[in-house]
Amino acid sequence: MIDALAAEWLKLRTLRSTSVVLAVVAVVVALMALLAWWSANLWDGLSPGDRDHLVVSPLPDVTHMLASLCLAVLGVLAFSGEQGTGMIRTTFTVLPSRGRVLAAKAGVVAAVAACTGLTAVLATYAAGRLLIGDRPIRGQSAEVLSRQLPHFLAMSLSITMFALLGLCLAVITRSAVAAIATLVAVWYVLPIVGYNLPAPWGDRVGSILPGALADQLAGTGNPDAVTVALLPPLAALAVMAAYVAVPYGVAAVLLARRDP
Amino acid sequence: MIEVRELTKRFGRTVAVDGLTFHVKPGRVTGFLGPNGAGKSTTLRMILGLDRPASGEALVGGRRYDRLRHPMREVGVLLDAGAVQGGRTPLGHLSWMARAGGVGRDRVVTVIEQVGLAGVARKRIRGFSLGMRQRLGIAAALLGDPGVLLLDEPVNGLDPDGVRWIRELLREFAAEGHTVLLSSHLMSEMELTADHLVVIGRGRLITDASMRELTAVRDVFVRSSRAADLATALSAAGGTVAAEDGGGLSVRGLDPAEIGDLAARQAIPLHEVTPRGASLEETYLRLTAREADR
Repeated sequence: MIDALAAEWLKLRTLRSTSVVLAVVAVVVALMALLAWWSANLWDGLSPGDRDHLVVSPLPDVTHMLASLCLAVLGVLAFSGEQGTGMIRTTFTVLPSRGRVLAAKAGVVAAVAACTGLTAVLATYAAGRLLIGDRPIRGQSAEVLSRQLPHFLAMSLSITMFALLGLCLAVITRSAVAAIATLVAVWYVLPIVGYNLPAPWGDRVGSILPGALADQLAGTGNPDAVTVALLPPLAALAVMAAYVAVPYGVAAVLLARRDP
Repeated sequence: MIEVRELTKRFGRTVAVDGLTFHVKPGRVTGFLGPNGAGKSTTLRMILGLDRPASGEALVGGRRYDRLRHPMREVGVLLDAGAVQGGRTPLGHLSWMARAGGVGRDRVVTVIEQVGLAGVARKRIRGFSLGMRQRLGIAAALLGDPGVLLLDEPVNGLDPDGVRWIRELLREFAAEGHTVLLSSHLMSEMELTADHLVVIGRGRLITDASMRELTAVRDVFVRSSRAADLATALSAAGGTVAAEDGGGLSVRGLDPAEIGDLAARQAIPLHEVTPRGASLEETYLRLTAREADR
Protein backbone atom coordinates (compact mmCIF):
# COMPACT_ATOMS: atom_id res chain seq x y z
CA MET A 1 0.00 0.00 0.00
CA ILE A 2 2.93 2.32 0.76
CA ASP A 3 4.24 1.70 -2.78
CA ALA A 4 0.83 2.49 -4.25
CA LEU A 5 0.50 5.69 -2.20
CA ALA A 6 4.00 6.83 -3.11
CA ALA A 7 3.35 6.10 -6.79
CA GLU A 8 0.06 8.01 -6.79
CA TRP A 9 1.73 10.92 -5.04
CA LEU A 10 4.45 10.98 -7.71
CA LYS A 11 1.81 10.87 -10.43
CA LEU A 12 -0.26 13.69 -8.96
CA ARG A 13 2.83 15.79 -8.36
CA THR A 14 4.11 15.40 -11.91
CA LEU A 15 0.72 16.15 -13.46
CA ARG A 16 0.55 19.59 -14.98
CA SER A 17 -3.13 20.05 -14.13
CA THR A 18 -2.30 19.75 -10.43
CA SER A 19 -0.19 22.90 -10.46
CA VAL A 20 -2.85 24.67 -12.55
CA VAL A 21 -5.59 23.84 -10.03
CA LEU A 22 -3.40 24.89 -7.10
CA ALA A 23 -2.55 28.14 -8.91
CA VAL A 24 -6.27 28.83 -9.36
CA VAL A 25 -6.79 28.32 -5.62
CA ALA A 26 -3.97 30.79 -4.99
CA VAL A 27 -5.67 33.28 -7.33
CA VAL A 28 -8.93 32.83 -5.39
CA VAL A 29 -7.12 33.70 -2.15
CA ALA A 30 -5.51 36.71 -3.83
CA LEU A 31 -8.92 37.89 -5.03
CA MET A 32 -10.25 37.58 -1.50
CA ALA A 33 -7.35 39.72 -0.27
CA LEU A 34 -8.19 42.26 -2.97
CA LEU A 35 -11.81 42.25 -1.86
CA ALA A 36 -10.73 42.79 1.74
CA TRP A 37 -8.53 45.70 0.73
CA TRP A 38 -11.30 47.21 -1.38
CA SER A 39 -13.88 46.83 1.43
CA ALA A 40 -11.55 48.48 3.93
CA ASN A 41 -10.98 51.41 1.57
CA LEU A 42 -14.68 51.69 0.85
CA TRP A 43 -15.48 51.58 4.55
CA ASP A 44 -13.04 54.36 5.32
CA GLY A 45 -14.65 56.63 2.72
CA LEU A 46 -18.25 56.07 3.84
CA SER A 47 -20.25 58.20 6.26
CA PRO A 48 -21.22 56.43 9.53
CA GLY A 49 -24.81 56.07 8.28
CA ASP A 50 -23.78 54.41 5.02
CA ARG A 51 -21.37 52.07 6.80
CA ASP A 52 -24.37 50.16 8.19
CA HIS A 53 -25.44 49.31 4.67
CA LEU A 54 -22.08 47.84 3.65
CA VAL A 55 -22.23 44.04 3.72
CA VAL A 56 -19.35 41.90 2.53
CA SER A 57 -19.65 38.10 2.35
CA PRO A 58 -17.45 36.26 4.87
CA LEU A 59 -14.25 35.85 2.89
CA PRO A 60 -13.17 32.41 4.17
CA ASP A 61 -16.62 31.09 3.22
CA VAL A 62 -16.22 32.33 -0.34
CA THR A 63 -12.78 30.74 -0.53
CA HIS A 64 -14.25 27.53 0.85
CA MET A 65 -16.93 27.50 -1.85
CA LEU A 66 -14.55 28.19 -4.75
CA ALA A 67 -11.78 25.93 -3.46
CA SER A 68 -14.34 23.11 -3.16
CA LEU A 69 -14.93 23.22 -6.89
CA CYS A 70 -11.21 23.59 -7.70
CA LEU A 71 -10.22 20.55 -5.66
CA ALA A 72 -13.16 18.57 -6.93
CA VAL A 73 -11.75 19.18 -10.41
CA LEU A 74 -8.34 18.04 -9.13
CA GLY A 75 -10.01 14.85 -7.91
CA VAL A 76 -11.60 14.32 -11.33
CA LEU A 77 -8.32 14.87 -13.18
CA ALA A 78 -6.45 12.50 -10.87
CA PHE A 79 -8.36 9.70 -12.57
CA SER A 80 -9.75 10.94 -15.88
CA GLY A 81 -6.31 11.78 -17.27
CA GLU A 82 -5.26 8.16 -16.90
CA GLN A 83 -8.54 6.83 -18.20
CA GLY A 84 -8.43 9.13 -21.23
CA THR A 85 -4.89 8.26 -22.31
CA GLY A 86 -5.20 4.56 -21.50
CA MET A 87 -2.38 4.84 -18.96
CA ILE A 88 -4.78 3.31 -16.44
CA ARG A 89 -3.93 -0.06 -18.04
CA THR A 90 -0.26 0.49 -17.24
CA THR A 91 -1.26 1.34 -13.68
CA PHE A 92 -3.25 -1.87 -13.37
CA THR A 93 -0.51 -4.03 -14.87
CA VAL A 94 1.92 -2.66 -12.30
CA LEU A 95 -0.62 -2.78 -9.47
CA PRO A 96 -3.24 -5.41 -10.33
CA SER A 97 -5.26 -4.75 -7.16
CA ARG A 98 -7.68 -2.10 -8.38
CA GLY A 99 -9.10 -1.56 -4.91
CA ARG A 100 -5.63 -0.66 -3.72
CA VAL A 101 -5.11 1.75 -6.62
CA LEU A 102 -8.40 3.51 -5.84
CA ALA A 103 -7.58 3.67 -2.14
CA ALA A 104 -4.14 5.12 -2.88
CA LYS A 105 -5.60 7.71 -5.24
CA ALA A 106 -8.24 8.64 -2.67
CA GLY A 107 -5.62 8.93 0.06
CA VAL A 108 -3.38 11.21 -1.98
CA VAL A 109 -6.24 13.36 -3.29
CA ALA A 110 -7.69 13.68 0.23
CA ALA A 111 -4.35 14.71 1.71
CA VAL A 112 -3.73 17.32 -0.98
CA ALA A 113 -7.29 18.67 -0.69
CA ALA A 114 -7.23 18.86 3.09
CA CYS A 115 -3.89 20.68 3.18
CA THR A 116 -4.69 23.01 0.30
CA GLY A 117 -8.18 23.73 1.62
CA LEU A 118 -7.01 24.56 5.13
CA THR A 119 -4.12 26.66 3.84
CA ALA A 120 -6.39 28.61 1.50
CA VAL A 121 -9.02 29.29 4.14
CA LEU A 122 -6.44 30.30 6.75
CA ALA A 123 -4.63 32.54 4.25
CA THR A 124 -7.93 34.20 3.36
CA TYR A 125 -8.68 34.74 7.05
CA ALA A 126 -5.22 36.18 7.66
CA ALA A 127 -5.49 38.52 4.68
CA GLY A 128 -8.90 39.69 5.88
CA ARG A 129 -7.68 40.38 9.40
CA LEU A 130 -4.62 42.16 8.12
CA LEU A 131 -6.41 44.40 5.63
CA ILE A 132 -9.79 44.97 7.32
CA GLY A 133 -8.36 45.12 10.82
CA ASP A 134 -10.98 45.95 13.41
CA ARG A 135 -13.39 47.77 11.10
CA PRO A 136 -16.79 46.29 12.04
CA ILE A 137 -17.93 45.58 8.46
CA ARG A 138 -21.07 43.47 8.38
CA GLY A 139 -20.42 39.88 7.36
CA GLN A 140 -16.82 40.01 8.57
CA SER A 141 -16.13 38.18 11.78
CA ALA A 142 -13.68 39.83 14.15
CA GLU A 143 -13.30 36.72 16.25
CA VAL A 144 -9.88 35.41 17.13
CA LEU A 145 -8.45 32.47 15.22
CA SER A 146 -8.87 29.97 18.04
CA ARG A 147 -12.63 30.57 18.03
CA GLN A 148 -12.84 30.24 14.25
CA LEU A 149 -10.51 27.31 13.80
CA PRO A 150 -13.23 24.62 14.15
CA HIS A 151 -15.16 26.30 11.35
CA PHE A 152 -12.04 26.43 9.17
CA LEU A 153 -11.30 22.77 9.86
CA ALA A 154 -14.89 21.93 8.90
CA MET A 155 -14.37 23.85 5.63
CA SER A 156 -11.17 21.92 4.96
CA LEU A 157 -13.04 18.68 5.57
CA SER A 158 -15.79 19.81 3.21
CA ILE A 159 -13.23 20.65 0.50
CA THR A 160 -11.75 17.16 0.98
CA MET A 161 -15.22 15.67 0.58
CA PHE A 162 -15.67 17.52 -2.71
CA ALA A 163 -12.27 16.33 -3.96
CA LEU A 164 -13.10 12.70 -3.19
CA LEU A 165 -16.53 13.12 -4.74
CA GLY A 166 -14.77 14.38 -7.88
CA LEU A 167 -12.42 11.38 -7.94
CA CYS A 168 -15.27 8.89 -7.50
CA LEU A 169 -17.44 10.59 -10.13
CA ALA A 170 -14.54 10.40 -12.58
CA VAL A 171 -14.18 6.67 -11.93
CA ILE A 172 -17.93 6.09 -12.23
CA THR A 173 -18.54 8.18 -15.37
CA ARG A 174 -15.10 7.53 -16.97
CA SER A 175 -15.37 11.02 -18.38
CA ALA A 176 -13.94 14.30 -17.12
CA VAL A 177 -16.76 16.26 -18.77
CA ALA A 178 -19.55 14.18 -17.22
CA ALA A 179 -17.88 14.20 -13.81
CA ILE A 180 -17.31 17.96 -13.77
CA ALA A 181 -20.83 18.64 -15.06
CA THR A 182 -22.25 16.50 -12.23
CA LEU A 183 -20.09 18.34 -9.72
CA VAL A 184 -21.19 21.75 -10.92
CA ALA A 185 -24.79 20.60 -10.68
CA VAL A 186 -24.28 19.48 -7.07
CA TRP A 187 -22.22 22.53 -6.19
CA TYR A 188 -24.22 25.28 -7.85
CA VAL A 189 -27.46 24.18 -9.49
CA LEU A 190 -28.95 22.02 -6.71
CA PRO A 191 -28.64 24.75 -4.04
CA ILE A 192 -30.64 27.08 -6.31
CA VAL A 193 -33.24 24.38 -6.88
CA GLY A 194 -33.37 23.71 -3.13
CA TYR A 195 -33.76 27.42 -2.38
CA ASN A 196 -36.79 27.62 -4.64
CA LEU A 197 -38.60 24.61 -3.23
CA PRO A 198 -41.65 25.41 -1.07
CA ALA A 199 -41.15 25.38 2.71
CA PRO A 200 -40.23 23.29 4.55
CA TRP A 201 -38.64 21.32 1.71
CA GLY A 202 -36.32 24.08 0.64
CA ASP A 203 -34.57 24.03 4.01
CA ARG A 204 -34.66 20.27 4.32
CA VAL A 205 -33.07 19.71 0.94
CA GLY A 206 -30.77 22.68 1.30
CA SER A 207 -29.35 21.45 4.58
CA ILE A 208 -28.16 18.14 3.17
CA LEU A 209 -26.47 19.54 0.06
CA PRO A 210 -22.69 19.12 0.20
CA GLY A 211 -21.92 22.84 0.15
CA ALA A 212 -24.02 23.48 3.26
CA LEU A 213 -22.39 20.88 5.48
CA ALA A 214 -19.27 22.73 6.65
CA ASP A 215 -21.25 25.42 8.47
CA GLN A 216 -23.54 22.88 10.09
CA LEU A 217 -20.61 20.71 11.13
CA ALA A 218 -18.98 23.69 12.84
CA GLY A 219 -22.32 24.71 14.33
CA THR A 220 -22.12 28.18 12.84
CA GLY A 221 -25.25 29.00 10.90
CA ASN A 222 -24.33 31.42 8.17
CA PRO A 223 -26.99 34.14 8.03
CA ASP A 224 -26.16 35.08 4.45
CA ALA A 225 -26.02 31.59 3.05
CA VAL A 226 -28.59 30.32 0.58
CA THR A 227 -29.11 27.31 2.81
CA VAL A 228 -30.04 27.14 6.44
CA ALA A 229 -28.70 25.06 9.29
CA LEU A 230 -31.02 22.24 10.29
CA LEU A 231 -28.54 19.49 11.06
CA PRO A 232 -26.64 19.10 14.33
CA PRO A 233 -22.85 18.77 13.81
CA LEU A 234 -22.76 14.99 14.09
CA ALA A 235 -25.55 14.58 11.54
CA ALA A 236 -23.72 16.95 9.20
CA LEU A 237 -20.60 14.83 9.63
CA ALA A 238 -22.58 11.68 8.84
CA VAL A 239 -24.03 13.23 5.66
CA MET A 240 -20.52 14.33 4.66
CA ALA A 241 -19.22 10.80 5.19
CA ALA A 242 -22.09 9.45 3.08
CA TYR A 243 -21.20 11.81 0.22
CA VAL A 244 -17.80 10.10 0.13
CA ALA A 245 -18.66 6.54 1.14
CA VAL A 246 -21.51 5.89 -1.29
CA PRO A 247 -19.78 7.13 -4.46
CA TYR A 248 -16.57 5.44 -3.31
CA GLY A 249 -18.36 2.12 -2.93
CA VAL A 250 -19.94 2.43 -6.38
CA ALA A 251 -16.60 3.46 -7.89
CA ALA A 252 -14.77 0.52 -6.28
CA VAL A 253 -17.32 -2.00 -7.57
CA LEU A 254 -17.34 -0.56 -11.10
CA LEU A 255 -13.55 -0.36 -11.21
CA ALA A 256 -13.29 -4.02 -10.25
CA ARG A 257 -15.95 -5.16 -12.73
CA ARG A 258 -15.30 -3.15 -15.85
CA ASP A 259 -12.47 -3.83 -18.26
CA PRO A 260 -10.26 -0.74 -18.23
CA MET B 1 6.25 -19.45 -19.57
CA ILE B 2 2.79 -18.23 -20.47
CA GLU B 3 -0.10 -20.68 -20.67
CA VAL B 4 -3.35 -19.68 -22.32
CA ARG B 5 -6.12 -22.21 -21.81
CA GLU B 6 -9.51 -22.18 -23.53
CA LEU B 7 -9.64 -18.40 -23.25
CA THR B 8 -12.90 -16.85 -24.44
CA LYS B 9 -14.00 -13.24 -24.47
CA ARG B 10 -17.28 -11.75 -25.66
CA PHE B 11 -18.17 -8.14 -26.27
CA GLY B 12 -21.95 -8.18 -26.35
CA ARG B 13 -22.79 -10.72 -29.05
CA THR B 14 -19.40 -10.60 -30.72
CA VAL B 15 -17.00 -13.33 -29.76
CA ALA B 16 -13.62 -11.62 -29.76
CA VAL B 17 -11.58 -14.58 -28.54
CA ASP B 18 -12.94 -18.08 -28.92
CA GLY B 19 -11.53 -20.99 -26.90
CA LEU B 20 -7.94 -19.97 -27.52
CA THR B 21 -5.21 -22.27 -26.21
CA PHE B 22 -1.46 -21.89 -26.69
CA HIS B 23 1.78 -21.89 -24.71
CA VAL B 24 4.61 -19.42 -24.89
CA LYS B 25 7.81 -21.24 -23.97
CA PRO B 26 11.01 -19.70 -22.63
CA GLY B 27 14.20 -19.53 -24.64
CA ARG B 28 12.64 -18.36 -27.86
CA VAL B 29 10.83 -15.40 -29.33
CA THR B 30 7.19 -16.25 -29.95
CA GLY B 31 5.41 -14.10 -32.49
CA PHE B 32 1.71 -13.44 -32.13
CA LEU B 33 0.13 -12.81 -35.50
CA GLY B 34 -3.34 -12.16 -36.80
CA PRO B 35 -5.29 -9.72 -38.94
CA ASN B 36 -6.69 -6.57 -37.36
CA GLY B 37 -9.53 -7.43 -35.03
CA ALA B 38 -8.41 -11.04 -34.68
CA GLY B 39 -8.30 -10.67 -30.90
CA LYS B 40 -4.54 -10.24 -30.32
CA SER B 41 -4.76 -7.22 -28.05
CA THR B 42 -7.77 -8.63 -26.20
CA THR B 43 -5.81 -11.83 -25.56
CA LEU B 44 -2.82 -9.88 -24.28
CA ARG B 45 -5.09 -7.83 -22.01
CA MET B 46 -6.65 -11.02 -20.63
CA ILE B 47 -3.21 -12.49 -19.92
CA LEU B 48 -2.52 -9.34 -17.89
CA GLY B 49 -5.77 -9.52 -15.95
CA LEU B 50 -7.04 -6.30 -17.50
CA ASP B 51 -9.94 -7.81 -19.42
CA ARG B 52 -11.97 -10.43 -17.67
CA PRO B 53 -12.40 -13.59 -19.78
CA ALA B 54 -15.88 -15.10 -20.21
CA SER B 55 -14.23 -18.47 -19.61
CA GLY B 56 -10.81 -20.07 -19.57
CA GLU B 57 -7.68 -18.74 -17.95
CA ALA B 58 -4.21 -17.44 -18.62
CA LEU B 59 -1.25 -18.21 -16.39
CA VAL B 60 2.14 -16.56 -16.21
CA GLY B 61 4.76 -18.73 -14.57
CA GLY B 62 1.97 -20.98 -13.31
CA ARG B 63 -0.04 -18.23 -11.66
CA ARG B 64 -2.72 -15.79 -12.67
CA TYR B 65 -1.18 -12.40 -13.43
CA ASP B 66 -3.19 -10.58 -10.76
CA ARG B 67 -1.88 -13.03 -8.16
CA LEU B 68 1.76 -12.17 -8.85
CA ARG B 69 3.38 -10.45 -5.93
CA HIS B 70 5.56 -8.07 -7.94
CA PRO B 71 4.18 -8.35 -11.47
CA MET B 72 6.53 -5.75 -12.89
CA ARG B 73 9.59 -7.74 -11.80
CA GLU B 74 8.24 -10.84 -13.54
CA VAL B 75 6.53 -9.52 -16.66
CA GLY B 76 7.59 -6.53 -18.75
CA VAL B 77 4.65 -5.11 -20.66
CA LEU B 78 4.23 -2.78 -23.61
CA LEU B 79 0.63 -2.53 -24.75
CA ASP B 80 0.29 0.94 -26.26
CA ALA B 81 3.19 3.34 -26.38
CA GLY B 82 0.73 6.20 -26.79
CA ALA B 83 -0.90 5.48 -23.45
CA VAL B 84 1.17 7.96 -21.46
CA GLN B 85 0.28 11.38 -20.10
CA GLY B 86 2.02 13.98 -22.23
CA GLY B 87 2.66 16.39 -19.40
CA ARG B 88 5.15 14.06 -17.73
CA THR B 89 8.79 13.50 -18.53
CA PRO B 90 10.26 10.03 -19.13
CA LEU B 91 11.93 10.37 -15.75
CA GLY B 92 8.62 11.20 -14.07
CA HIS B 93 6.74 8.44 -15.87
CA LEU B 94 9.29 5.74 -15.08
CA SER B 95 9.69 6.98 -11.51
CA TRP B 96 6.08 6.40 -10.54
CA MET B 97 6.19 3.02 -12.26
CA ALA B 98 9.35 2.05 -10.37
CA ARG B 99 7.79 3.14 -7.08
CA ALA B 100 4.55 1.26 -7.78
CA GLY B 101 6.37 -1.86 -8.93
CA GLY B 102 8.80 -2.05 -6.06
CA VAL B 103 11.84 -1.40 -8.25
CA GLY B 104 14.85 0.70 -7.23
CA ARG B 105 15.33 4.19 -8.66
CA ASP B 106 18.68 3.20 -10.15
CA ARG B 107 16.81 1.01 -12.66
CA VAL B 108 15.06 4.12 -13.99
CA VAL B 109 18.36 5.67 -15.01
CA THR B 110 19.64 2.34 -16.36
CA VAL B 111 16.69 1.72 -18.68
CA ILE B 112 16.56 5.34 -19.86
CA GLU B 113 20.16 4.96 -20.98
CA GLN B 114 19.53 1.51 -22.38
CA VAL B 115 16.79 2.74 -24.75
CA GLY B 116 18.71 5.87 -25.70
CA LEU B 117 16.45 8.49 -24.13
CA ALA B 118 19.04 9.94 -21.73
CA GLY B 119 19.15 13.20 -23.67
CA VAL B 120 15.40 13.81 -23.31
CA ALA B 121 14.84 12.29 -19.87
CA ARG B 122 13.61 15.63 -18.51
CA LYS B 123 11.62 16.74 -21.56
CA ARG B 124 7.85 16.48 -21.69
CA ILE B 125 6.58 13.37 -23.48
CA ARG B 126 4.02 15.50 -25.36
CA GLY B 127 6.65 16.53 -27.92
CA PHE B 128 7.92 12.99 -28.58
CA SER B 129 7.71 11.18 -31.90
CA LEU B 130 6.05 7.78 -32.07
CA GLY B 131 9.50 6.17 -32.17
CA MET B 132 10.59 7.94 -28.97
CA ARG B 133 7.35 6.92 -27.25
CA GLN B 134 8.00 3.35 -28.38
CA ARG B 135 11.46 3.52 -26.78
CA LEU B 136 9.93 4.86 -23.59
CA GLY B 137 7.41 2.00 -23.62
CA ILE B 138 10.24 -0.49 -24.02
CA ALA B 139 12.11 1.18 -21.17
CA ALA B 140 8.98 0.73 -19.04
CA ALA B 141 8.79 -2.95 -20.02
CA LEU B 142 12.44 -3.50 -19.06
CA LEU B 143 12.19 -1.48 -15.85
CA GLY B 144 11.51 -4.41 -13.51
CA ASP B 145 14.24 -6.56 -15.09
CA PRO B 146 11.59 -9.21 -15.81
CA GLY B 147 11.91 -12.79 -17.06
CA VAL B 148 8.95 -12.44 -19.42
CA LEU B 149 8.33 -9.78 -22.04
CA LEU B 150 4.93 -9.18 -23.55
CA LEU B 151 5.00 -6.58 -26.29
CA ASP B 152 2.19 -5.39 -28.55
CA GLU B 153 3.52 -3.97 -31.84
CA PRO B 154 6.83 -2.75 -30.37
CA VAL B 155 8.47 -1.78 -33.67
CA ASN B 156 5.69 0.53 -34.81
CA GLY B 157 7.17 3.90 -35.61
CA LEU B 158 10.76 2.89 -34.98
CA ASP B 159 13.42 3.84 -37.52
CA PRO B 160 15.49 1.04 -39.11
CA ASP B 161 18.17 1.38 -36.43
CA GLY B 162 15.53 1.11 -33.76
CA VAL B 163 13.95 -1.92 -35.40
CA ARG B 164 17.31 -3.64 -35.54
CA TRP B 165 18.05 -2.68 -31.94
CA ILE B 166 14.81 -4.14 -30.61
CA ARG B 167 15.26 -7.29 -32.71
CA GLU B 168 18.69 -7.90 -31.19
CA LEU B 169 17.43 -7.02 -27.73
CA LEU B 170 14.62 -9.56 -27.96
CA ARG B 171 16.81 -12.29 -29.43
CA GLU B 172 19.40 -11.83 -26.68
CA PHE B 173 16.68 -11.77 -24.06
CA ALA B 174 15.24 -15.05 -25.33
CA ALA B 175 18.71 -16.60 -25.65
CA GLU B 176 19.18 -16.02 -21.92
CA GLY B 177 16.30 -18.42 -21.37
CA HIS B 178 13.62 -15.75 -20.96
CA THR B 179 10.15 -15.75 -22.48
CA VAL B 180 9.07 -13.30 -25.19
CA LEU B 181 5.61 -12.87 -26.68
CA LEU B 182 5.61 -10.31 -29.44
CA SER B 183 2.65 -9.24 -31.51
CA SER B 184 3.17 -7.54 -34.82
CA HIS B 185 1.54 -7.20 -38.18
CA LEU B 186 4.90 -6.63 -39.87
CA MET B 187 5.50 -10.02 -41.43
CA SER B 188 9.03 -9.36 -42.64
CA GLU B 189 10.04 -8.18 -39.17
CA MET B 190 8.44 -11.20 -37.57
CA GLU B 191 10.31 -13.49 -39.96
CA LEU B 192 13.60 -12.03 -38.75
CA THR B 193 12.79 -11.91 -35.05
CA ALA B 194 10.51 -14.76 -34.09
CA ASP B 195 11.42 -18.45 -33.68
CA HIS B 196 7.90 -19.60 -33.14
CA LEU B 197 4.54 -18.31 -34.28
CA VAL B 198 1.05 -18.32 -32.87
CA VAL B 199 -1.38 -17.20 -35.57
CA ILE B 200 -4.98 -16.38 -34.74
CA GLY B 201 -7.94 -15.25 -36.83
CA ARG B 202 -11.39 -14.26 -35.61
CA GLY B 203 -10.38 -15.15 -32.09
CA ARG B 204 -9.45 -18.73 -32.94
CA LEU B 205 -6.09 -20.43 -33.16
CA ILE B 206 -5.05 -20.95 -36.77
CA THR B 207 -1.60 -22.30 -36.22
CA ASP B 208 0.97 -22.74 -33.47
CA ALA B 209 4.19 -23.76 -35.20
CA SER B 210 7.88 -23.00 -35.50
CA MET B 211 9.04 -20.49 -38.07
CA ARG B 212 10.99 -23.29 -39.82
CA GLU B 213 7.86 -25.35 -40.36
CA LEU B 214 5.95 -22.37 -41.66
CA THR B 215 8.58 -21.32 -44.15
CA ALA B 216 9.58 -24.85 -45.26
CA VAL B 217 10.36 -25.65 -48.93
CA ARG B 218 7.11 -25.53 -50.81
CA ASP B 219 7.86 -26.36 -54.43
CA VAL B 220 10.59 -26.40 -57.07
CA PHE B 221 10.48 -23.93 -59.91
CA VAL B 222 11.72 -25.36 -63.23
CA ARG B 223 12.33 -23.80 -66.63
CA SER B 224 12.95 -25.76 -69.77
CA SER B 225 12.82 -25.22 -73.53
CA ARG B 226 10.69 -28.39 -73.68
CA ALA B 227 8.35 -27.57 -70.83
CA ALA B 228 5.48 -29.74 -72.06
CA ASP B 229 7.66 -32.87 -72.34
CA LEU B 230 9.16 -32.17 -68.94
CA ALA B 231 5.72 -31.73 -67.37
CA THR B 232 4.59 -35.09 -68.75
CA ALA B 233 7.74 -36.81 -67.48
CA LEU B 234 7.51 -35.25 -64.03
CA SER B 235 3.84 -36.13 -63.70
CA ALA B 236 4.59 -39.70 -64.67
CA ALA B 237 7.27 -39.81 -61.94
CA GLY B 238 4.71 -38.79 -59.33
CA GLY B 239 5.15 -35.04 -59.21
CA THR B 240 2.38 -32.47 -59.19
CA VAL B 241 3.08 -30.00 -61.95
CA ALA B 242 1.46 -26.65 -62.60
CA ALA B 243 2.34 -24.16 -65.31
CA GLU B 244 3.13 -20.69 -64.03
CA ASP B 245 1.94 -17.48 -65.63
CA GLY B 246 5.39 -16.19 -66.54
CA GLY B 247 6.42 -19.51 -68.11
CA GLY B 248 8.09 -22.30 -66.20
CA LEU B 249 6.64 -24.99 -63.99
CA SER B 250 5.91 -25.31 -60.32
CA VAL B 251 6.68 -28.85 -59.20
CA ARG B 252 5.65 -30.40 -55.92
CA GLY B 253 6.42 -33.86 -54.62
CA LEU B 254 9.87 -34.15 -56.23
CA ASP B 255 13.11 -32.67 -55.03
CA PRO B 256 15.62 -30.85 -57.30
CA ALA B 257 17.89 -33.93 -57.58
CA GLU B 258 15.06 -36.16 -58.73
CA ILE B 259 13.95 -33.57 -61.28
CA GLY B 260 17.49 -33.14 -62.61
CA ASP B 261 18.10 -36.91 -62.94
CA LEU B 262 14.77 -37.42 -64.66
CA ALA B 263 15.43 -34.65 -67.15
CA ALA B 264 18.92 -36.00 -67.90
CA ARG B 265 17.59 -39.51 -68.58
CA GLN B 266 15.14 -38.13 -71.14
CA ALA B 267 17.64 -35.57 -72.48
CA ILE B 268 15.38 -32.64 -71.70
CA PRO B 269 17.41 -29.45 -71.23
CA LEU B 270 16.88 -27.58 -67.95
CA HIS B 271 17.35 -23.80 -67.79
CA GLU B 272 16.53 -23.33 -64.12
CA VAL B 273 15.85 -25.45 -61.05
CA THR B 274 15.02 -23.42 -57.93
CA PRO B 275 13.65 -24.84 -54.68
CA ARG B 276 11.25 -22.27 -53.29
CA GLY B 277 10.33 -21.78 -49.60
CA ALA B 278 7.15 -20.02 -48.74
CA SER B 279 7.74 -16.56 -47.34
CA LEU B 280 6.06 -16.07 -44.01
CA GLU B 281 3.82 -13.54 -45.65
CA GLU B 282 2.51 -16.06 -48.19
CA THR B 283 1.98 -18.69 -45.54
CA TYR B 284 0.26 -16.19 -43.33
CA LEU B 285 -2.05 -14.93 -46.07
CA ARG B 286 -2.89 -18.48 -47.07
CA LEU B 287 -3.68 -19.44 -43.47
CA THR B 288 -5.74 -16.38 -42.66
CA ALA B 289 -7.59 -16.46 -45.99
CA ARG B 290 -8.69 -20.01 -45.27
CA GLU B 291 -9.95 -18.85 -41.89
CA ALA B 292 -11.82 -15.92 -43.43
CA ASP B 293 -13.64 -18.30 -45.82
CA ARG B 294 -15.07 -20.37 -43.02
